Amino acid sequence: MSDYVKYSSMSEGDDFLDPVPSFEVTKECVDKYIKATNDGTKELAVDDEQGRRVAPPMLAAVYVIDALRTRVGPPGGIHAKQQFKFHRPAYIGETLFTTAQVLKLYERKGRNYVEMTTETRNQHGELITNGMITRIWGKEG
Amino acid sequence: MSELKSYQNYNVGDQLDEITQVVEQTMIDAYADASGDVNPLHIDPEFAKTTFFGRTIAHGLLTLAFVSRVLSAWNWQGWAYGGELNVSFLGPVYPGDSVRVSGEIDEIVERDDGIYARCQLACFCDERVVVKGFVICKISN
Repeated sequence: MSDYVKYSSMSEGDDFLDPVPSFEVTKECVDKYIKATNDGTKELAVDDEQGRRVAPPMLAAVYVIDALRTRVGPPGGIHAKQQFKFHRPAYIGETLFTTAQVLKLYERKGRNYVEMTTETRNQHGELITNGMITRIWGKEG
Repeated sequence: MSELKSYQNYNVGDQLDEITQVVEQTMIDAYADASGDVNPLHIDPEFAKTTFFGRTIAHGLLTLAFVSRVLSAWNWQGWAYGGELNVSFLGPVYPGDSVRVSGEIDEIVERDDGIYARCQLACFCDERVVVKGFVICKISN
């Protein structure tokens, strides 16, 4: 049995993540992301008016991919397209839950493509980010 | 919805302040560590040699982190609170590449809830386009 999700096992309309994984927005993970991406945005270095520290909007790339990684494709898959709508930045201390649904499966030039919608909410159900990701599925051995 | 040529300090044709970021393997490794995305295509040169690319490539989402830096500097509020990003990954970023992120306002529209600007975005490695797309951000209530 393979340890990755086979392309043929997915169907359009499937909920891809069950159970829905959680992601803790810690100061450590935010600091590490800011450092790795060389992001000097000044709003990320100060607390907002409510005393909260925001994470970079594109931390979505971490918490969404982290959720999707709970069911990975074969090695070598790559990202083809990405859409995000940032309803608001995540705050340090929040717990995020990302759901994903298979929207479309298709083949182009001998490669298998998977389109998925994603939606991320915090522990109170507040919408943080939604999006759509298109991945070229890695070749299955 | 009505289209405008300009609104306050925003004008169709305005260029966003560009950034250029050199991407070395150490940065890719740091991003893999920060994001948890340890796909061997990004961090394992021996595995990457067996792929279409022949060598490691940066995570597409690392390139989007540079896009986020440009948009945060341009219009933090509109980007982080309601920004809509839609991009395609057109080519790989290899270790040693310099990624230049550029953007230009190509549309300003009035919607029921405010004024929005759409910017065309492109990321280049020399003359090669590696990411292309657009972002829509609110510029005024």
